[in-house]
Amino acid sequence: MTYHPAHISWLQVEIPAAPASAFQVAPKTVRDVENILRYCSERDLVVQVWGGGSHSGFGSPPEPDFVMSMERLDDVETWEPDDLTIVVGAGARIETIEGMLAERNQTLVMPERPGAATIGGVIAAGISSLRRGRLYSTRERVLETSMVTGDGRVVRSGGRVVKNVTGYDLHRLAVGAFGSLGVIVSVCLKLWPTPPGSATVLVDDLDHAAAIVRPLATLEVDGQVMVYLQGTEAEVETQTERLGGKATTGLDWPSNPTGAWEWSLRMPPARTTEALARLPEGWPYLAVHGVGEVRLASDSHHGAEELRSWAESAGGHLVMSQGDPTLFDPWGAPPPALQVQRRLIAEFDPKRILNPGRLPGGL
Amino acid sequence: MTLVTDLRAVLGAEDVMVEPVELHLYSKDASLMRGQPTCVVFPRDAGEVAEVVRIAEAHHVPIVARGAGTGLAAGASPTEGGIVLVTMAMSDIEIDPENRTAWVGAGVINLDLSKVAIAHGLYFAPDPSSQSACTIGGNVANNSGGPHCLSEGSTTSHVLGMEVVLAGGEIVVLGGKAPDPPGLDLKGAIVGSEGTLGIVTRALVRLLPIDPDVRTLLMDFPSVEDAARTVSDVISAGLVPAALELMDQRMVQAVENWLQAGLPTEAAAVLLAEVVGETDGVEPQARLIAEIAKQNRAGSVEIAGSVEHRALLWKARKSAFGAIAQLAPDYYLHDAVVPRTRLVETMKAVYDVADRYDLTMLNVFHAGDGNLHPLIAFDASDPEINARVHQAGEEIVALCLEAGGALSGEHGIGIEKRDLMRFNFSELDLDAQARLKEVFDPRGVFNPTKILPEGSRCFDFGGVRRELPDGVWV
Repeated sequence: MTYHPAHISWLQVEIPAAPASAFQVAPKTVRDVENILRYCSERDLVVQVWGGGSHSGFGSPPEPDFVMSMERLDDVETWEPDDLTIVVGAGARIETIEGMLAERNQTLVMPERPGAATIGGVIAAGISSLRRGRLYSTRERVLETSMVTGDGRVVRSGGRVVKNVTGYDLHRLAVGAFGSLGVIVSVCLKLWPTPPGSATVLVDDLDHAAAIVRPLATLEVDGQVMVYLQGTEAEVETQTERLGGKATTGLDWPSNPTGAWEWSLRMPPARTTEALARLPEGWPYLAVHGVGEVRLASDSHHGAEELRSWAESAGGHLVMSQGDPTLFDPWGAPPPALQVQRRLIAEFDPKRILNPGRLPGGL
Repeated sequence: MTLVTDLRAVLGAEDVMVEPVELHLYSKDASLMRGQPTCVVFPRDAGEVAEVVRIAEAHHVPIVARGAGTGLAAGASPTEGGIVLVTMAMSDIEIDPENRTAWVGAGVINLDLSKVAIAHGLYFAPDPSSQSACTIGGNVANNSGGPHCLSEGSTTSHVLGMEVVLAGGEIVVLGGKAPDPPGLDLKGAIVGSEGTLGIVTRALVRLLPIDPDVRTLLMDFPSVEDAARTVSDVISAGLVPAALELMDQRMVQAVENWLQAGLPTEAAAVLLAEVVGETDGVEPQARLIAEIAKQNRAGSVEIAGSVEHRALLWKARKSAFGAIAQLAPDYYLHDAVVPRTRLVETMKAVYDVADRYDLTMLNVFHAGDGNLHPLIAFDASDPEINARVHQAGEEIVALCLEAGGALSGEHGIGIEKRDLMRFNFSELDLDAQARLKEVFDPRGVFNPTKILPEGSRCFDFGGVRRELPDGVWV
């Protein structure tokens, strides 16, 4: 053992929104993360990894013994604007980094209204940008991850280049894994340029939106369809005219619907409109057309069971992202190849201390 | 019961080949490494593949899955013997135009998929140069790229789901048409795993709508550095074209001799760029690229107007490796990747290596991705040259890694680069990858000895010696 429990005590902090009963720490270095996780593994202590707290409602987690905030691991190690890549600590807030990148007209292509969300948190929860239909999901932006496994090993996967097939892609497994394979401590991300022209166009319906073959996004919020355009100024101008709706300059992104219960409905893209017609009365929604993702909120879980059983029969999923897991099963049908998933997690987090209960299928 | 008898009982006699001539034919892929299979099988669906897997496990014999065998890293060479499983008989295509996806048999040829999809105004983005021969199963196994992956990503970004046969012959369907399937993204680990984790029998792939308009630019430069700098400048100007491909003079001359595509043979380098989108978008983008090229001393900039002209330029690019045959009987094609900002200096260093070893080197590569393909043309019957080719290759890989790059951008590790993995990853990184392999393949039948160097698993970590599962190949 190369560390003393005092080293861990020194890292104690207060994280206002996190479970208060837990010992709250904020590691300053990757070595601190290793030490904390070894300490907890040796004592079977459950660790909840904390980013910005934005996506902490998934699954049915037990009360944690430790909450580990990643907020201090937020350094930008390298930003190569001419290469469109960045290497950054997982605790960095999306909003902060986007602000920096905007100076060179670049973007992470991560959630547009991130609040306090961190890069590591969004990757671990598998949350994507509304622009994903054109610029792909968060998964496709992650070029390299460094993770600390449950038993305190530092494992790097991928590389700092935009195209790479060297070795097994553990960094893809890390996306949406809720930290079950390891705590993401730093990542290299593929950035994207933001062209000068942009517009948000309100159109009458989806048929009108189809005038543009690959827009930046086509969203629908409670019955209103919006097409988002980006490109050269001339291009955006003529496309706006072609769409013929009410246009505003710039990208006016909607917020996610909020409520006591929040949901992510994931459907084959062509079933999106049908899904909207099947929503329980009064559920506000934000639909990403062409992708099949619908973000929902509600006051209760009434009607969710019917919606889920239809979604699953149509090849989709209804995932609860916020709510009471004792009243409603957060994930629904278990994923395939559970044995493989379970054995994989056991190799990376043998004591199962990292964010247990977050994943579906009792993983 | 012998292996072959067992296999024939399931697949029938004609789908299990043991003739020496056939075994020889399937004893290697497009690399230089040859193995000696016991038999070659042609299963027709996942059920038959599952039977083959169970039989292989029972006989403790490896299975090497193979599509068209166009791989360059010996990923599909049966270097440990055993069964070569050819996917060609799994060739169904089921297009779902509404969801812009297709379920595709592993044996479907890449170009055939796009030929079928075009009727729906759709295409499959990954387009390796071997696309008229290589299969979707091979693309999935190698996470294949191609010129047009610059803006749309490699194969992994286009595989939404898969039917795969795992250890024990278990058939599972991973992923689907809906986004973000819950649970661990196992298919993300399987894409690019070179047949070492299981055997993909069908893939659910994303299809993209064909863009309404396109401009293809052909630009010539007085030096390779000028062309490489243009690539860097285009990216840093905020443009991500659909493709940015660079050919040096030797390569241009070889291709031109063969195809007469009208390439400028007197220029030191030629850059091929393509922008796609709405008409009002591609025009200004093409003009901006032309302007940047001029600032970097481009001689002429030609914008291909017709479909035929475009097709000819791309045929020239994709036929590059075929054109080498005029120069020398053999070639060794490298694949490495560097950050795009290091392209200019890396290209200089790569040419220096070739000069020092007195080798004929040609370059044609995916410059926009920083993905280099230095090609050394030589005569393999001369052992002295062989040794030089090998040494030069290692130096090139080393200098790319030093520039912050990686071992392979799209060709894979296989056996060719397996022992170089230690230069790219730490012991713990390799150990983690070896654990992944063990979880998927506890009996070690799926393409053993590929990707990971021997001894990748650190058994002593944490002071706990792990028990080896029964029948593991060590």
